[in-house]
Amino acid sequence: MNENRRQILEMLAAEKITVEEAERLLAALEDAPAVTNGFSEAKPKVKVKYLRVLVEADETMTGMKGQTTVNVRVPMQLLRAGVRLASLIPAQAHQHLDDELSRHGIPLTLSQIKPENLEELIDHLEDLTVDVDGKEGNTTKVRVFCE
Amino acid sequence: MIPSIAIVHVYNSHWRSLRLWIPLFLLWIPLLLLSPLIFLVILAAGVAGRISPWRAIAVFWAISCSLPGTHVQVSSQDNKVLVRIL
Repeated sequence: MNENRRQILEMLAAEKITVEEAERLLAALEDAPAVTNGFSEAKPKVKVKYLRVLVEADETMTGMKGQTTVNVRVPMQLLRAGVRLASLIPAQAHQHLDDELSRHGIPLTLSQIKPENLEELIDHLEDLTVDVDGKEGNTTKVRVFCE
Repeated sequence: MIPSIAIVHVYNSHWRSLRLWIPLFLLWIPLLLLSPLIFLVILAAGVAGRISPWRAIAVFWAISCSLPGTHVQVSSQDNKVLVRIL
């Protein structure tokens, strides 16, 4: 518990402030960026530009001689534009796609996905990092991150 | 920003490597000349699929404008393929 929160609760316990005032103060405290030793803990959010996918696969995975590496950099703008392609799917095709997806174990209703949902998905992708390392002699590595 | 150059690099240890600089901006000239025909095709496809042709054009324009910066590289011991769009 930080110092400010403790002070508010002590003031409430001492009946110096009412419950409503304490509630307002706590809400204001939550909205403000956390401050420790005079320095703000809130980091400015850096706008990421690319989604990176790095794969290092060994012979056992690819069947090719030596190590195979894949290095893909996709602009986030391309992902945003790509998800808008979904709006071009004809309405009559939605039912067929939904049926096929559910047949393959993906219970997704495409008609219920709105462009704003997809935008939100892309925004949250910026915080995504996936690291996969192979085990037991398998040296395959996969990294997915944004930069 | 529309893509201006695509770099394609193919390397194989058994034959000489191939490095191509494809000037994509030159593709805009035939594309502009063929634009009435392309528009008619998009219009027909839009009517058939009940999609606004303007929306289709906007989506494809957005995709082509966001292509610069794309980088795909696949390499193994003997082969290497690199595609970059600038």
